[in-house]
Amino acid sequence: MSKSVTHTQIVSYTLLFGLTSGMLYFLLYWFEDLILEWSKRGGWYFLVPIAIAFTFSLVHGKFTGHFWDLLGVKAKSDNS
Amino acid sequence: MELNFIDLGLTNILFLFIVGFVGGLVSGFIGSGGAFVLTPAMMNMGVPAIMAVASNICHKFPKALVGAVKRAKYGQVDVKLGLVMGVSAEVGVLIGAQIQEHITETFGKAGSNLYVSTVFVVVLAIVGSYVLRDAWKMYYSGNADKEEVGPVARWIQSIRIPGTMMYFKAIGAEISVLFTIPLGFATGMLAATIAVGGFIGVPAMIYLLGVPSLMASATELVIAFVMGLGGTIKYAWGGFVDIRLAMIILAGSLFGIQLGAIGTTYVKPYLVKVVMGVLMILVLFSRGIVIPVYLAELNMLFTLDPNTATWLKDASFVILILALGVGATIVLHGLWSGYREHLRELALVTTTTAGVMRMETALTPLSPFGRFERLLLVTDGSEFSSGAAREGINFAHVCKSHVYALSVVGNGNEALAMPVLEKERQQALANLQHLKTSASQVGVSCDSVLRYGVAVHEEILTEMENHRIDLIVMGRRGRSGLTQWLLGSTTTKMLGQAHTSLLIVPKAAPAIGKRLLVAIDGSRYGDAAAAAAGHLMKCWQASLTVVTVVTEDQPKQSAEMADLVNQTVRLLQRDGIAAEGQVIRGDNPAAAIAATATAKGIDLIVMGTHGRTGLDKWLMGSIAERVIHLSECAVLVVKF
Repeated sequence: MSKSVTHTQIVSYTLLFGLTSGMLYFLLYWFEDLILEWSKRGGWYFLVPIAIAFTFSLVHGKFTGHFWDLLGVKAKSDNS
Repeated sequence: MELNFIDLGLTNILFLFIVGFVGGLVSGFIGSGGAFVLTPAMMNMGVPAIMAVASNICHKFPKALVGAVKRAKYGQVDVKLGLVMGVSAEVGVLIGAQIQEHITETFGKAGSNLYVSTVFVVVLAIVGSYVLRDAWKMYYSGNADKEEVGPVARWIQSIRIPGTMMYFKAIGAEISVLFTIPLGFATGMLAATIAVGGFIGVPAMIYLLGVPSLMASATELVIAFVMGLGGTIKYAWGGFVDIRLAMIILAGSLFGIQLGAIGTTYVKPYLVKVVMGVLMILVLFSRGIVIPVYLAELNMLFTLDPNTATWLKDASFVILILALGVGATIVLHGLWSGYREHLRELALVTTTTAGVMRMETALTPLSPFGRFERLLLVTDGSEFSSGAAREGINFAHVCKSHVYALSVVGNGNEALAMPVLEKERQQALANLQHLKTSASQVGVSCDSVLRYGVAVHEEILTEMENHRIDLIVMGRRGRSGLTQWLLGSTTTKMLGQAHTSLLIVPKAAPAIGKRLLVAIDGSRYGDAAAAAAGHLMKCWQASLTVVTVVTEDQPKQSAEMADLVNQTVRLLQRDGIAAEGQVIRGDNPAAAIAATATAKGIDLIVMGTHGRTGLDKWLMGSIAERVIHLSECAVLVVKF
C-alpha cells in the first residue's frame, strides 16, 4: 500500500472489502444446495469451485490485509 | 463414486476457522503447514477421506496466492523459480498419487498408512534435525542476520550445462534447470504422500540451491499455489470438492497468512529454520507413534490391543495439533519481539554508540553506556558473593560511585519459622554492616538495604528502580547443565529482565583493573559494550583488547569482522585509549571469548547482550550467559 494512504482510506477499504466478503459468504450459505449440486457433477463444473476460490481469495484477501493494517500490524519499514 | 456432503454445525465451522487461521499463520511464515492437521480434522468430522483431501487442497491454492502476493511486496518471492519448481512439482504430485494408489491396492489402507508414516519419519528425521542444527549454528555464529551459501549449493551453482542454465534472482546466479526440476519433483512427490511438500521444498531450496531462508519460504508459496491449483482441478473434475469447507478454512487462513507474512519482515532468517525444524520433529513424533498400529493391522511382528491402537491414534492427532500450536506460538513471539526491537532501534537511531565515542559533548554524561554513578551490590554473605563484594567496592572506589548494598532474606522459604528467619535477618544485617565498613575504609559511600522476599530477582529489580541504579554487581552460583536449565539462576533472570548493566564476579575472580577485553559483534549491543569499555579505561590505567569471533564455516566474514575490530580500535585510540584488536576463530563464540580471556590473563570481559527473554531465550540461550558461566574472571554485561 502506498505511504500516502490515510487512516480514513484504510477504514473505508476495510469496511468495503469486509462487507463484500461477508456478502460473498452469505451468498455461499444462501445458494449452498445449488453450489454443492454443481460441485458434485464434476467435469467442466470444476470451474465452479475454482471460480469461487479465486473470487473469495481476492476479496477476503484484500479485507484481511486491510484489517491488520487498520489494527496497526504492519510490515517493518525503515520509516515506520 | 457417490459421496455425501456433511451438515456443518457451528462448532465445526469455528474449529475449521481457528485451525485455518493457525495453519495460515505458519504457512505465511515458512511457506507451508496446516494441511497435515486439516485433512485428519475434517475426516474426524465425518467428511470422506477423498473429500477432505480435495477440500483442503482447494483452500490451499487461494491461500498460497494471497501469501505469495503479500510476500512479493516485501521482495521475498522469486516467481520464476517458484513456477519452474511448481510445474515439476505438479508432475511429482501425479506420480506420487499413483504410487500411493498402487500401494493401497496391493497392501490395503494399513499398508498405505504404514508407507506414509515411514516416509514421514525418515524424511523428517533427516531434514528436520539438519534444519534445526543449522538454525542453532546460525544463532551461535554471533551474526544471526547472515546466511552463508553451503558447500553443496556452491557446487551446484558452479556447474554449467549448456542449454539448461537459467538465472534466478533469489540465488543471484544462473543454475541448471536439471537441478531445479528433480527438486520440484521431489517436493510434489512428498506433497502427494504427506501433504506437506514444503518440508522438503524449502530446505532443498536453501541447502541445495543456495536460496536465503526467507526467500525460500516465500517462493514455496508460489510452488504451493501451482500444486494446489493443479490438485484442485483434478479433484473438482471428479466432483470431490466441498467448497463450503474450503472457504471456511480460507476465511481463517487468510487472516493468518497475512500476519505470518508480516512476521517475516521482523525476524532474523534463523527463526524460519527454527519453526520449520520444530514442526518437523513434532510431526515426526506424531507419525512415529502410530507405526506400531499399522504394523499390527498388517499382522507384522505383533498384535496390538484395540484400545491401545485407538489411544495411539488419538495421541498422534493431539501431537499434530500441538505441533501447529507450537509453530504458531514461535511465529507470534518472533513477530512481537521483532516489532518491539524495531521500535527500540528507531528510538536509538540517532544515538548510536559510535557517535557517542566520536563526539564528546556536554551531553556525554547523559549517555547510559559508561555511567556507573549508582551501584547496587547484591550479597547473601556466602562465599559465592565474596568476589562481588570485593570487586564491587573496588569498582565504586575507582569510578567514584555510590553503593547500595542489598541482601534479601527469606528466599524460597515462605513458611520459614520465625526463629530461623530472625537468625537469617541478623546474619544479613551483620554482613551488610561489614560491607559498609569495608566501603567507608576506602572512601566509598554506602547505604545498606535489607529486603524480604521469595523471588530474589524481583527484589533486586525493585531496588534497581527505586535508586535508579546504573550497575548491578552480583556473584555467580556454580549451577550448570540440567540444574541450571530447570531452576534458572538469579543471574540468568537478571540478564533477561534488568534494564541496567550487570557486573558478574566469580568468587575467585582476579582483581579488576589491569587487562580488559571487550567483545563486539557488529551489533549496536557490541558498540554499547565498546563505549562502556572506553569509559572504564579512563578510570583504570589498563590495557584493552577488542575481540570478535568468526566461526570456522564463515570464512567470508573474517575480513569484514577484522575491519569492524580495526574501526573500533581506531575510534578508541582517537579518544586517547590504548587498545589492540583481535579476530578469534571458533565454532562456539562464548567458549572462544572465555578461552581468550584466560589465555591473555584478562580480569574483566565487557560485552553487550541482545537481551532475549522467554521463548527466544529458552530456544537459543544467550552468549553473554554462557560467557558468564565459562569465564574465570568478572564479566560486565552492558545493557540499555
